[in-house]
Amino acid sequence: MKQDGDSTGSEVFFESTDLSANMEDYMETISLLSSRNRVVRVKDIAKTLKITMPSVSAALNKLREKDLIYYEKYGFIELTDQGKRVAELVYRKHSFLKRFFGDILRMEQGSADEEACRIEHHLSPEACRRLYRLVEFHDAEHGSEREWTDQLQDMMEEGPLNELREGQSATIVKVLGDSPLRKRLIDMGFRKGERITVIKYAPLRDPIELSIKDYRLSLRVEEARDIIVRPLEHRRHRRRHGKE
Amino acid sequence: MERNRQAMKTREITVGLVGNPNCGKTTIFNALTGARQKVANWSGVTVEKREGRLKHAGASIRVIDLPGIYSLTSYSMEEIITRDFIIDDRPDVIVNVVDAGNLERNLYLTTQLINIGARSVIALNMFDEAANKGLVIDSDRLGTLLGMPVVKTVGTRSIGITELLDRIVQVAQGADETARHIHIPFGDDVEAEIRAIQQKMWEDEAIGKRYSTRWLSVRLLERDTDASKKLKAYPGHETIMEQVAKSRAVLERHFDDDIETIISDRRYGFIAGAVRESVKKTAPRRVDVSDKIDRVITNRYLGFPILFLFLWALFHLTFALGEYPMNLIESGVHQVGLAVERLMPAGPLKDLIVDGVIGGVGGVIVFLPNILILFMGISFMEDTGYMARAAFIMDRVMHTMGLHGKSFIPLIMGFGCNVPAIMATRSLENRQDRILTILINPFMSCSARLPVYILFAGAFFHDQAGTVILSLYLIGILLAFVSAKLYGLVFFRGGSTPFVMELPPYRVPTIKSTLLHMWDRSSQYLRKMGGIILAFSVVIWFMGEYPKSPEIAQEYDTRISALQSHNALVIERTRAGGATSETIEAMRAELDAKVESLEVERISRAKRNTMIGRLGSMLTPLTEPLGFNQQMGISLVTGFVAKEVVVSTMGVLYHAGNGAGGAQQPIDRAIRRPEYGITPLSAYTFMLFVLLYVPCLATVVVTGREAGWRWAFISLFYQLLLAWSVCFLFYNAGKLLGF
Ligand SMILES: Nc1nc2c(ncn2[C@@H]2O[C@H](COP(=O)(O)OP(=O)(O)O)[C@@H](O)[C@H]2O)c(=O)[nH]1
Repeated sequence: MKQDGDSTGSEVFFESTDLSANMEDYMETISLLSSRNRVVRVKDIAKTLKITMPSVSAALNKLREKDLIYYEKYGFIELTDQGKRVAELVYRKHSFLKRFFGDILRMEQGSADEEACRIEHHLSPEACRRLYRLVEFHDAEHGSEREWTDQLQDMMEEGPLNELREGQSATIVKVLGDSPLRKRLIDMGFRKGERITVIKYAPLRDPIELSIKDYRLSLRVEEARDIIVRPLEHRRHRRRHGKE
Repeated sequence: MERNRQAMKTREITVGLVGNPNCGKTTIFNALTGARQKVANWSGVTVEKREGRLKHAGASIRVIDLPGIYSLTSYSMEEIITRDFIIDDRPDVIVNVVDAGNLERNLYLTTQLINIGARSVIALNMFDEAANKGLVIDSDRLGTLLGMPVVKTVGTRSIGITELLDRIVQVAQGADETARHIHIPFGDDVEAEIRAIQQKMWEDEAIGKRYSTRWLSVRLLERDTDASKKLKAYPGHETIMEQVAKSRAVLERHFDDDIETIISDRRYGFIAGAVRESVKKTAPRRVDVSDKIDRVITNRYLGFPILFLFLWALFHLTFALGEYPMNLIESGVHQVGLAVERLMPAGPLKDLIVDGVIGGVGGVIVFLPNILILFMGISFMEDTGYMARAAFIMDRVMHTMGLHGKSFIPLIMGFGCNVPAIMATRSLENRQDRILTILINPFMSCSARLPVYILFAGAFFHDQAGTVILSLYLIGILLAFVSAKLYGLVFFRGGSTPFVMELPPYRVPTIKSTLLHMWDRSSQYLRKMGGIILAFSVVIWFMGEYPKSPEIAQEYDTRISALQSHNALVIERTRAGGATSETIEAMRAELDAKVESLEVERISRAKRNTMIGRLGSMLTPLTEPLGFNQQMGISLVTGFVAKEVVVSTMGVLYHAGNGAGGAQQPIDRAIRRPEYGITPLSAYTFMLFVLLYVPCLATVVVTGREAGWRWAFISLFYQLLLAWSVCFLFYNAGKLLGF
């Protein structure tokens, strides 16, 4: 079940690349494009990153100065050996972060990818190493009876009542605040572990009709916000791999 | 024992009805007492207090309906009323009405009744519905567990009422085997702290005499401000409160949760246990259609159209259908007036009876058809469960004004007539929402204001009359919005109340409950408001007739007879001059018209000399800046009785005929005569004023009765102020812009 993402040499990305976030993006893109296409052109990079060609050229010149790529004006672009190493490093960092968001924090694949992009250039090597250990820990635990990440996932899914969809059920975790409303709700049976179902939203999306115990109740969205629930059935995305 | 029973026979048993909202408490109350009830308010608050008396098995019983509540704490007026009633009035028996189909939540209140130590009987109501849901409830077992007799009832069909009465009498006589005092166990840790607090209380015997110390300790632990206020009356309260604070800190640290949650958790735990032991769930006997109905009625696309259709129908029924009986009433009153007129000798007393009293009575009962029909509709909506859905759909919109979803229906009804509309605010449980809805209701332009708009818009705006009238309605709604915000800011700083509204299942309404509801509202209207409205109308009628002015009458008599002889002379002379008969006829008509206008002028002068007329003239400094002439001022004053009167007063003051006079101009042409100086601008300002100032006497009285007189005066003052300032700004801005 071990994946290629964690194979030998993975420790390498705890080094700093000494590149700016932008430059790391360029390296990642070039590596990606060269694995996909036979040749890489300025045009392709510009298109992928949605940047103008002149800015791409300028950036490429900088990378060439660092001996990371071979690049002649109007010619193709290729990674140097040094460049390949750096690109690999950037790429692996990205994919393990994506697994961190996807497999452990259980975000959807698309958003996990985005979050990884957002964070990858800003982590220190130390933070990287620790996060990577967490992913390793998770992988090692895999297969045990009830994964801690499943429990974690339940908690991750906790949120305010008004985020439930119509027809979705949940159990109550807590009622926040210190208002008379809270006391009223507690008196009406809103207690920890009680099952609650969102029957429907009013035509104007507010208030919400709920079913709890044996009765129906309506609450305004702003009031439902203070009720923290744990959905009973949720988006289970249990795919667990670094590369697709 | 025997002696005891003997004593009971002579003494009246007081019974308090307690239960959650929608548990069928009103139905049980009606089943117990029938129509032998009287309605009052709880002292100082506008929460309704119903009482009824009956006899059963030789005992006389007084039943008091307490407000519907979910919990016996002190977060709402209703809860405090119920609780104070139980503690201070010490009823002999509490009948706890419980919805069998919704047992757990309903029993929560029961646990609090147990805690407070009230002797209770449970009416396990809606038993039919629970059976349909497939619930098999062992009521004896449940009774044993709760330490109080449990009687199965179906309120709508009066099933179980006799047994309920039997048990009430038994419990009151202390002869019921099931009734015993139990404790809801709160768990060792909590119990230890309760005991610690009780220990401190026992030091003062007076506390134990008055309250159940266990109950008081729990309430104090739960941070009940009302309970701590009660404790303040005793010298030892400081040490007790210290102990409470200490205990609370211990428990909250131990459980890592707040004390209310801990205690309510224990209560629900106890209930869950009792329910587990006494209720079996089997397959439902009938499919629940409630959800299917709901899917259509609160549908995203259909919800609003259905609601508007419903309201349109209700509005039409109330005000269009209601018009027939209203006309009947009006002509009936007229007939009575005529009959009395024939029978009585002429004189001031006759005027008073015929025009003042009979007219006034007519003014009171003329609202009855509206009230009857509207409350039939509202009762239908409430009993079926549609009212809650309508509120559910509309809440988003109403909430932006700081109102509740249920405010919508009374507001819409206000377009018909504000009087029944204000009475309809009773559907709103929360006092603040109710008052706010009542206060802004007058800005919904009622149908009595329409004749004024039609007259002025027709006379001064011709083709645009429709647009002008529509604009007035819209301004009314806009200002209702603004006023709601303003009232909210000034009087209800606490913000809007939460929208914890139960959506009861759809039910088929019963004719009995609808009729009772209609009867209830109408008789209340007649008893509580009718008299005041009548008295006021007589006073105002008097002010509009007196003082009589004999000098004026005399002056005009001489002037008229002088004119008449002068006319005869002129005609004579013309005829002698050899004019054709047509010319003479034309001349005669012209001269007759002069006489007639003198007569009208006399009435008008006389009117101006009455108290109301003088008041109108006195107000000139106030009305002139708005561009109103004196006649307009006077008709606004008379319009205080009812808006219809504005037009008729104007007719009198503007020497206009009602068509019968022939020679006089119809009023819409009369008011346009240049010598009166009404411009389109001042006409619009006038309509604006009619829209905004007090709708009518009856509205003020109903406001006073429903919300309290303080609010009636506040709203009266506010409306006058608003009407004046808006009109002042509007008129002067208009003038600056050159209109
Ligand atoms: N099926 C059924 N309906 C009932 C029973 N008792 C009351 N209802 C209905 O329940 C609704 C609410 O009753 P009501 O007495 O107004 O409740 P309250 O709010 O507690 O006063 C009404 O439509 C009644 O007709 C019952 O025993 N069985």
